[in-house]
Amino acid sequence: MSIYEKAVKKPISVILIFVGVIIMGMFSLRYLPIDLYPEIDPPIVSIFTFYQGASAADIETNVTRILEDNLNTVNNLKELTSTSKDNTSLVMLEFEWGTNLDEATNDIRDALGRVESYLPEGVEKPIIFKFSTSMIPIMLLSATAEESYPALTKILDEGIVNPLNRIEGVGAVSLSGGPKREIQVNVDPRKIEAYNMSVEQIGAVIGQENINLPGGNLDIGSHRYPVRVEGEFKSSDELKHLVLGNFQGRIIRLSDVGTVKDTLAETTIDERANGRVGARIVIQKQSGANSVEIAQEVRDRLPVLMKNLPPDVEIETIFDTSEFIENSISSLANTVMYAGIFVVLVVLFFLGRWRATFIIILTIPVSLIVSFIYLYATGNTLNIISLSSLSIAIGMVVDDAIVVLENITHHIEKGSSPREAAIYGTNEVGLAVVATTLTVVAVFFPLTLVQGLSGIMFRQLGMIVTLVVIVSTIAALTLTPMLSSQMLRLMPPRKKGVAKAVFGTFEKFLVWLDNIYEKTLGFAVRHRVMVVIVSVIIFVASISLVSLVGTEFIPPADNARIEATVELPMSLRLEKTQKVARDLENIWQEKYPEIEVISTSAGVADEDNIFSAFGENGTHVINFTMRLSNSSERERDIYQIGDLMRQDLDSVTLLKDYTVSPGGSGGGMGSGASTVEVIVSGYNMEETGRVADHFMEKLENMEGLRDIDISRDDPKMEYQLVLDREKLGIYGLNTATVANAMRNRINGLIAAQYREDGDEYDVRVRFSEPFRESIESVENILVYNTQGEAIRIREVGSVEEYMAPLSIERRNRQRVITVTGSLYDASITDVVNEINAEVDRMDLPQGVGIDIGGTAEDQQESFADLGLLLGLIIILVYIVMASQFESLRSPFIIMLTLPFAFTGVFIALFITGTTLNLISMIGGVMLVGIVVKNGIVLIDYINLLRDRGMSLVQAVVAGGKSRLRPVLMTTLTTILGMLPLAIGIGEGAEIWRPMGVAIIGGLTVSTMLTLVLMPVVYTMFGANRMKSERKRIAKLEESI
Amino acid sequence: MKTVFITYNQALTEKIEHILDKLAIRGYTRWPQVQGRGTKDGEPHQGTHTWPAMNEAIITVVEEDRVAGLLEHLNHLNDKAEMQGLRAFVWEAEIGV
Repeated sequence: MSIYEKAVKKPISVILIFVGVIIMGMFSLRYLPIDLYPEIDPPIVSIFTFYQGASAADIETNVTRILEDNLNTVNNLKELTSTSKDNTSLVMLEFEWGTNLDEATNDIRDALGRVESYLPEGVEKPIIFKFSTSMIPIMLLSATAEESYPALTKILDEGIVNPLNRIEGVGAVSLSGGPKREIQVNVDPRKIEAYNMSVEQIGAVIGQENINLPGGNLDIGSHRYPVRVEGEFKSSDELKHLVLGNFQGRIIRLSDVGTVKDTLAETTIDERANGRVGARIVIQKQSGANSVEIAQEVRDRLPVLMKNLPPDVEIETIFDTSEFIENSISSLANTVMYAGIFVVLVVLFFLGRWRATFIIILTIPVSLIVSFIYLYATGNTLNIISLSSLSIAIGMVVDDAIVVLENITHHIEKGSSPREAAIYGTNEVGLAVVATTLTVVAVFFPLTLVQGLSGIMFRQLGMIVTLVVIVSTIAALTLTPMLSSQMLRLMPPRKKGVAKAVFGTFEKFLVWLDNIYEKTLGFAVRHRVMVVIVSVIIFVASISLVSLVGTEFIPPADNARIEATVELPMSLRLEKTQKVARDLENIWQEKYPEIEVISTSAGVADEDNIFSAFGENGTHVINFTMRLSNSSERERDIYQIGDLMRQDLDSVTLLKDYTVSPGGSGGGMGSGASTVEVIVSGYNMEETGRVADHFMEKLENMEGLRDIDISRDDPKMEYQLVLDREKLGIYGLNTATVANAMRNRINGLIAAQYREDGDEYDVRVRFSEPFRESIESVENILVYNTQGEAIRIREVGSVEEYMAPLSIERRNRQRVITVTGSLYDASITDVVNEINAEVDRMDLPQGVGIDIGGTAEDQQESFADLGLLLGLIIILVYIVMASQFESLRSPFIIMLTLPFAFTGVFIALFITGTTLNLISMIGGVMLVGIVVKNGIVLIDYINLLRDRGMSLVQAVVAGGKSRLRPVLMTTLTTILGMLPLAIGIGEGAEIWRPMGVAIIGGLTVSTMLTLVLMPVVYTMFGANRMKSERKRIAKLEESI
Repeated sequence: MKTVFITYNQALTEKIEHILDKLAIRGYTRWPQVQGRGTKDGEPHQGTHTWPAMNEAIITVVEEDRVAGLLEHLNHLNDKAEMQGLRAFVWEAEIGV
């Protein structure tokens, strides 16, 4: 018994099985986390090595190169880059996408183990650092305060950070930029010299006074009591009266030699939100946690927590990724809904029967819901990719059911009972239905095998569409015949009324369309050569459109976020930097009312911070993060605003360099512009520097490029204390003593920890400010030798100006300088071509090489992958069709429509001004499977009519006419299902516009041509078929 | 009207059909996959492991004057490949519906 026969005979089992599937799907949907993209961990592992005191060049030869040479052997390594700076070496290993990073980290650890003993002494153990998407903050809050500012850190720590940390799924909540309390002891060097004291002595006294020590137990009478000394300072005021020692019989207190200030630590970073002082709260999630849920929870809790804070503390959201996710997801959910409505309308109008429409529509939820089960079972999330996959599939899932139901209706109209009609009707088309599904699977399944970044992106798409389409076929072979046998019956002609008016008119229109098509087809078959020539001309003309349609990698999205980094001249003081930051904030807030929050940080977070090794840092750097209103609420998109901001920055004279990145940098795919990198490699840094400068100039003048940046920093000026070792020897000093003495007086000596309410604050002793502001004061520092003699630094060395060496960047074990530019309104191929032309024109010095990288590199790789995929898919589809028709010729005729699908794609892209990018190309690849479906339906039926003995032309015209409606119906369901995607309503959906546009364009043009050109080509090849038939008969004649 | 009953090795199906088409004999009833064995010699056609071949049988009712032509063609076919096995029998047909 076949599957449909069983289904028709056991309706209850079938219904309950599908009900079970739906319940499982609902269950999965309920627990499915929501995210923007499938979890993609960038395959990058970094290795930090600290080597205190070594210069960039030393680091390069002694640490970086040794590490690189060994790490180069790690499996699957794609690129090895490194940066050697003063004190630190950073080696980054980039792996192929999809590499198991745990294994890679193990390999790295092995490699480091082998090499550790070859590193110079004093090198700290290399730190392995794995970056993952869960480290990208999901929320960034800014806290501002007026009177409570000095205590802000403590308030936030207790009132916000700790409670938020307890939310399930929150990975880390951290605070940055808040004020830090510190007790400063600023001493006057002249006074301590007079009293014969040193900073170290004062520090030691403070340390020794600030102590609590248990002294054991006292047995008094029959009791035992502990005894202890409580010397710790109860208040910071106590320090002022601290006795430092005796001088000529007089007691010297701390207040005699300096001042004690209970104040805020000197800031190296200045955090502001909308120009008000404050701190930032960064919220990260745990890997695999639901961003949307966490953000919701945080938003729910914040008002409650805020109540306990002082009234002047205000908390604002700088960005909340969940908002973008929610908007994107809900707009995609809308897209799916609209697609569903369109499909229902098409089916209803073509069939004109409620019951039939209901049966077909039922396959939509049944098949779509299976994707939720898949996502849940594989631990995936509901994201843009999975939802758009559903949107793509929705037009296709009804196709099988339509074919089956149409045939069953046909049998019923001929007088068969619904039950028998359901079984035999399904039997007749069952194989064709399976075959069309197989062609779709042949397209989408290989998508799961694509390598690289695009592979990660499209794995879910391929899997979901494959699954959904297979389930829809199963439903079409079981649920549809079963329901047909129960619900369909021979319908009497329609009675008068609204239904008749509506459906009758549409029916008349369809009949009119049938006749028009019949006439056209008749004409076309009689003028074959002309039709073919016109088609070829159309195709060739469309090819010329390719050059007019620009290319890019991934279309940029508007996530209502702009980041900007502004670099002022090196070594500028923080106060100056702050002023520039304030000015820019004011200008921008006035000019762009779209900006809701502008959060600024100027300066360095912390010198030892691991993150500071990554990015640009320094007192001269300002980072802006701006949140704009929702994209639907404003006229200008982030790219336009970003462009205007660049103009603003151009007019500020003090700036050395700046970048404006709409969408934020490194915020994942689909946001931010794509970049082009010119990589200049070569050992001689002067020569490469010159070449890089040349390119920088060229790129800046190039149309379509913005934010040109060169990776090499300007050399930084610093002062060095150069010591004379002989003199040191004479005075009984050594470098360490002198260096420490200088550090203690200028940077300060942490003498003790002052405790209050369970928190500890540093007590820092150093020279008061006027004695830290000139070279002279450094030279005047007194250093004591072991004999207790005081020697001025001037006696043993001198302070000299010095240019700090640059940081040295390497890529694949070669020194490089990269010049980066981001694209704006330009096609990447044009830019790359222009750069290549420049390279050809240039006279490169010996040993200097030039490569082009950046997103351009990824793009070329992905496009090559896609080309390969397209070839593979075409072969697979051909094989599927050839085995169904048992013919090599028929699939070939069907495949002839493929080029015209691409014609349609190019025309549609050109008209809508969309670029040829990864998304539209995937659309093109998918077309291969969708387009041939029409051909299969048509050619199959024409073949049938020919077998029934019709003449060639008769069969073609009659077959075409009878298949017009099914072809139009399946095409319209697919096109209209894709329409909401192509219009791109709502946030985040614009990423998918190119795919929708490509598929609609390709499908429309190829369907029109399928309907005219394919029958024509068939008649041309059909003559062959007649010849071979005659041959066969002649052979038979011989044998009898 | 005469009834012609033809039973033959299924390998000959195509050729028998062609003969009927050629003589413009439209109506027939056919049993596919039947078993049989010759009276005198030849291999049995039983669809077993030992005798894997199968027969087909056709009954066609034709006008008397067309019987001779049909038999002639069948004879010719049988002569060409005697080992395949083909038999035809003719009897009188009453008029039916």
